[in-house]
Amino acid sequence: MSGTRTHPALALRDVGKRFEANTALEGVTFDVEAGTFVSIVGPSGCGKSTLLHIIAGLLPPSAGRVEVFGESLAGINRRASYMFQQDALLPWKTVLENIQLGLTLRRQERHVRRANAQRWLERVGLTGVGNEYPYQLSGGMRKRVALAQCWIVDPDLILMDEPFSALDVHTRLQVEAEILRLWAGSGKTVAFVTHDLEEAISLSDYVFLLSAGPGSRVVGRYAVDLPRPRTLMDIRAESRFHELYRDIWHDLRREVVRSNERSR
Amino acid sequence: MSARARTHLGLVVSQVATAAGLLLIWEWSAATGRLDPFFFSRPSHVLLRVWQWVATGSLWPHVSTTFTEALLSFAIGGFFGIVLGFSLASVPLLAALLEPYIRIANAVPRVVLAPLFLLWFGLGIWSKVALGVTVVFFIVFFNTYRAVREVDVIFIDNVRMLGASRAQVLRHVVVPSALTWIFSSLHISIGMAIIAVVVGEYLGASRGIGYLIAQAEGVFDTTGVFAGTAVLAAGVLIVGAAVSRLERRLLRWKPQNLEVRNDSEAGGPWK
Repeated sequence: MSGTRTHPALALRDVGKRFEANTALEGVTFDVEAGTFVSIVGPSGCGKSTLLHIIAGLLPPSAGRVEVFGESLAGINRRASYMFQQDALLPWKTVLENIQLGLTLRRQERHVRRANAQRWLERVGLTGVGNEYPYQLSGGMRKRVALAQCWIVDPDLILMDEPFSALDVHTRLQVEAEILRLWAGSGKTVAFVTHDLEEAISLSDYVFLLSAGPGSRVVGRYAVDLPRPRTLMDIRAESRFHELYRDIWHDLRREVVRSNERSR
Repeated sequence: MSARARTHLGLVVSQVATAAGLLLIWEWSAATGRLDPFFFSRPSHVLLRVWQWVATGSLWPHVSTTFTEALLSFAIGGFFGIVLGFSLASVPLLAALLEPYIRIANAVPRVVLAPLFLLWFGLGIWSKVALGVTVVFFIVFFNTYRAVREVDVIFIDNVRMLGASRAQVLRHVVVPSALTWIFSSLHISIGMAIIAVVVGEYLGASRGIGYLIAQAEGVFDTTGVFAGTAVLAAGVLIVGAAVSRLERRLLRWKPQNLEVRNDSEAGGPWK
């Protein structure tokens, strides 16, 4: 797509969001280059999820504007898929039905979307559980299904809101590796919200730092110059990882302290 | 046989033994004159009576009448309950407007309506169906209303992000989510429908199990009363088992069955 080359995947200009008396976001401005993996970190309650909801078009901003590949966003963001923090798989649909849901909604032919969903099932390593219901799967398996559900519609932009916060460390590393494997060479843009700085650094090209609320803004942008492909199991032991961690944590710590003081 | 299946079998055997024991005590007490058979009849007589009814074919018209009425009231009450539940849940203004009226209507004891329905709809099946509808409607309505209101917003957000239109949100999220509660309320509403139509028959009819019991009572035929009651209980159990099977099939995506919310009893969502 020609638009994809010339415009950033995301351009936020002075985006603000008020909920009645309280201001969640104020003057949020940043660009995300197409094809990059960015993380948004910040103290808890700083409006990270709100920001992602605005980018998704699920929440209208109270001020400012959002551009997606050069086009002003109005309503649901049709170029994006969203992976939620909570379980968002439909419990009354089987794994295969959940994976192909986006195609069903686009009225794709039954056998085409079934074959496609079957391929994705194998791709996320879940061969054989296609006819089970979500409650029969483990937390890690449900996340893999959600991953396939997001990717099968071939979005240009993938939004993830702390998708793995409920998983144990080992499962989490596995699913994160899965994401990097899918993303590598796909040309897709990922915006990943997390409060876990290690996770942010190990996955991303850039880390954005959101300030403590109320009225959070972007107060830092850090390039993560770790080479790819990355081995998530080992990357935390590298010295460059530690340097980056120290630098970003220095600023993040300040915001966390401020956030704690305000909530007291 | 697994340990669990063995425990289950043991339980069933104990349950059957308990029933048999109680019936034997009853039979023995009546046979030896400790219980007056005029007031309490005897299980063997009751069984014989049921058998006579079945053998002569005189039972069938009554059973079919009662269950036709119950099914009709279930279908009609269920239909309006679902339609109104969906409408009110989707249009909050309508819900606010109708709230006091629904509350008042639900507060009316159904039995006092029976004579009125007899006047309006006559002695035939429709006065009983009307009574059944007033019971079923509220159970289904409250369950539908609350179910639609309480659909998890995360599911709606997810399908919207995957490209769902408003109609598709309804079809893929709201309806299946609400159906869960509606199916769970089937149990209660079919049971209540049967009770309601039997009460209706008891108060004035020319057919049905309730009529059968009322007739027997009129001539102090306690055996007939017990026999009618036994037939009714058996019928309710069979229908209940059928509903359970249906529910397990339709809700096979659920880890376990939900507890049923009988909101019409509790006073509804506005209480």
